Amino acid sequence: MARLAVRNLSMTFPAVQALDDVSLTFEAGEVHGVVGENGAGKSTLMRILAGLQFPTSGEVHLNGRPERLGSVRGALEHGIAMIHQELNLVDELDVAENVFLGREITRRGVLDRRSMIAETQALLEEVKAPFGPTARVGSLSIAGKQLVEIAKALAVDAAILIMDEPTAVLSAPEAEALFGLIQRLRDKGVTVLYISHRLPEVLDLCDRISVLRDGKLVASFEPRNEPVDAQTLASSMVGRPMSDMFPAKSVPPSGEPILMVDRASVDGFAEEVSFILRPGEVLGFAGLVGAGRTELAEALFGARPLRSGSIEIAGESVTIRDPSQAMRHGLAYVSEDRKGIGLILSLSCVQNVTLANLRAYCRPVLSSTREQEATARWKSELDIRAGDLDAPVLYLSGGNQQKISLAKWLETDPKILILDEPTRGVDVGAKRELYALIRSLTARGMACIVISSELPEIIGLCDRAIVLREGRAVGEVSGETMTEEAIMRLAAGVEAAA
Amino acid sequence: MKRAGFFQEYGVLVAFVLLFLMAAIRFPDSFLHADNLRNLLSQNAYVGIIAIGMTFVIISGGIDLSVGSLVALCGAVTVLTVNKAAESGMVLMVALAAALAAGAVAGFANGAVIAFGRVAPFVVTLAGLAGFRSIALVLGQGGEIRSTVRSFGDFGYDGLPIPGLTNIGGKPVILYWSTLAFLLVALLGGFLLNKTRYGRYVIAVGANEKAARYSGIDTRWVKVWTYTLLGGLVGLAAFFNSARMNSVGTGSVGLYYELDAIAAVVIGGTSLAGGKGRIWGTVVGVLLLTLIGMLLNLWRVDPNWQGAVRGAVILIAVLLQRTTKPEN
Repeated sequence: MARLAVRNLSMTFPAVQALDDVSLTFEAGEVHGVVGENGAGKSTLMRILAGLQFPTSGEVHLNGRPERLGSVRGALEHGIAMIHQELNLVDELDVAENVFLGREITRRGVLDRRSMIAETQALLEEVKAPFGPTARVGSLSIAGKQLVEIAKALAVDAAILIMDEPTAVLSAPEAEALFGLIQRLRDKGVTVLYISHRLPEVLDLCDRISVLRDGKLVASFEPRNEPVDAQTLASSMVGRPMSDMFPAKSVPPSGEPILMVDRASVDGFAEEVSFILRPGEVLGFAGLVGAGRTELAEALFGARPLRSGSIEIAGESVTIRDPSQAMRHGLAYVSEDRKGIGLILSLSCVQNVTLANLRAYCRPVLSSTREQEATARWKSELDIRAGDLDAPVLYLSGGNQQKISLAKWLETDPKILILDEPTRGVDVGAKRELYALIRSLTARGMACIVISSELPEIIGLCDRAIVLREGRAVGEVSGETMTEEAIMRLAAGVEAAA
Repeated sequence: MKRAGFFQEYGVLVAFVLLFLMAAIRFPDSFLHADNLRNLLSQNAYVGIIAIGMTFVIISGGIDLSVGSLVALCGAVTVLTVNKAAESGMVLMVALAAALAAGAVAGFANGAVIAFGRVAPFVVTLAGLAGFRSIALVLGQGGEIRSTVRSFGDFGYDGLPIPGLTNIGGKPVILYWSTLAFLLVALLGGFLLNKTRYGRYVIAVGANEKAARYSGIDTRWVKVWTYTLLGGLVGLAAFFNSARMNSVGTGSVGLYYELDAIAAVVIGGTSLAGGKGRIWGTVVGVLLLTLIGMLLNLWRVDPNWQGAVRGAVILIAVLLQRTTKPEN
């Protein structure tokens, strides 16, 4: 009997059929991958299982019996816990307080801190966490917070663990450690539902892979029994054969540099980083999460102070103190944090697209007609799938949100475009479109900096890449020398075997 | 994919129309009377003018508790200016300029401390609530400042006669200048919020200040101008109020205006969390509060109950307009 099964699950929203008659079973002791493009229905499925949403029709069975999960608490009582992409922890509290949040152990109405700390200690050992129960959660890295979330799930004896893109924010070694933990949990009989856009890791980790497309279950693979490659998986996700992911690179650009950064330092994040960027070039910033890439980019963009160093744009020395100055010099920064910085979720597609270039739509009265026209133009140019351009961007899928965020910056007609993790949380089809778009922009003379933690992306997309480690530029790779191994070696600080 | 339903969107308006019809049917003579209908518009025109400015501040993610005290301070400045300028032929103009300037300067100060000093708006304007009243009291030596210019007081009762409408005495019904100012401010406010860059920036700053900053918007100045705008409108309201009284009671004028203005904004459907709001809602909010007061009078309800009813209206309005929060 399956530990967890969904039968004929459907979920209809006003504008979209998010799930369409999906039936799936999840066995004890298996890692079950769920993949699909953005908007394929993965998140809806997970939300239903985590008790966050009610299906329009269909049933959820636990150990053979139909159950109504009702709420997150209800799901937890049935042993289902979800590790969210955006971690749900209270930074101000310590680890033990977070683990027991909402179900504190008390003795005669008084918190029993000692027992909670002891139990947390045991859980932390189980997940091999490198910190103790009294560490403040706000001081932990994202990987550490994830371990706390997992410990929290184990504390309630969760038999089913739902992980939504857990590696999106992890560096490679951190991800490896997580995979080890997932395997140990599986061997203990825990069922893990694993959602990820990173197909190679799904193939490595999962015992079974279910592919959703347009709300339907379209394929199921068991990589342990019959090997399957990422290409096949990707094709079944998008419903057509996938040719090469990356567009061809251009002839190495050799014009005058558009941007020259000399010994730029950002307090606590970057030390004396120098580089140049030429028109038509895609320059990668590679490195581990936390290497200071984002902070350096933000400092170039004026969003955080540059302690020292000089910046030259098109041969002129410039000082940039805030984003509006950066924009005047032709810089644009597409943030990795789409929801917090890149977009204003409660505003419409139109309002987001024109926000950074609103001046162009005023004379001096705002012309909503022209705003609409411009947005519609970007919609067709970038193939943005949005029904109603006046609806909040909140309702769009990750890939389409990313395109809106990109459209907003292309609106400003930048000379230098900084893209920070441009494909995080973006599905494979939209990824490919973004890569092609970046190349077509550079073909027209734009210069791009791409910050990415995905090595294939750096290697496939960039002409050249600088590797950062702990805030320092530790090397540059290009052409033949640009290999995953070379980058990892630089990023992790392992000396090359000469 | 949930969007606000009809009632969430237009509930206040529906409530206002229903109450209006109810009053019209129940009290055809006393309510549906030209003077009374004029009063519906004019009675809270001062709070109304302030509430329009408050809508901007609340949409930008802030709050201003100092407006009631600022009415007293601006009123004091107005009347003192009137008395000083008594001889000149431009008393009204000079007084109006003084009122606007006093309000705008105070609002600018609030905004500057909030935006550049990075202090919570609640705290800064709480200080203003205490401080502005106190300065007004000093100017008024603890009491009333009387205007010595009769034409100033007359102005408070002056306005445009509404064509075709007469009161019981057969005189034309006059729409006061303050009421006209309220309506004009509302129209301009709606335009400013929806049709200008500044308005869009106010919404953006309230919805996500960081994203706004990263989009090249100087969020600090947006905030400063928003508090300055409100301050100027408070000055305008104080000008009309002191003309009406031909004096200013520095200890009593404007008391609780901040609460009335915030109530009208909230009833009108503007989110206290910022980033979302509407001017017409605030206008309906002001009118709804006035209408309820009138109804309670017509029903001869003990006036002491007014506060409780207002409180209930605020809660009901907010509960009804609560949209189901998008998940995440």
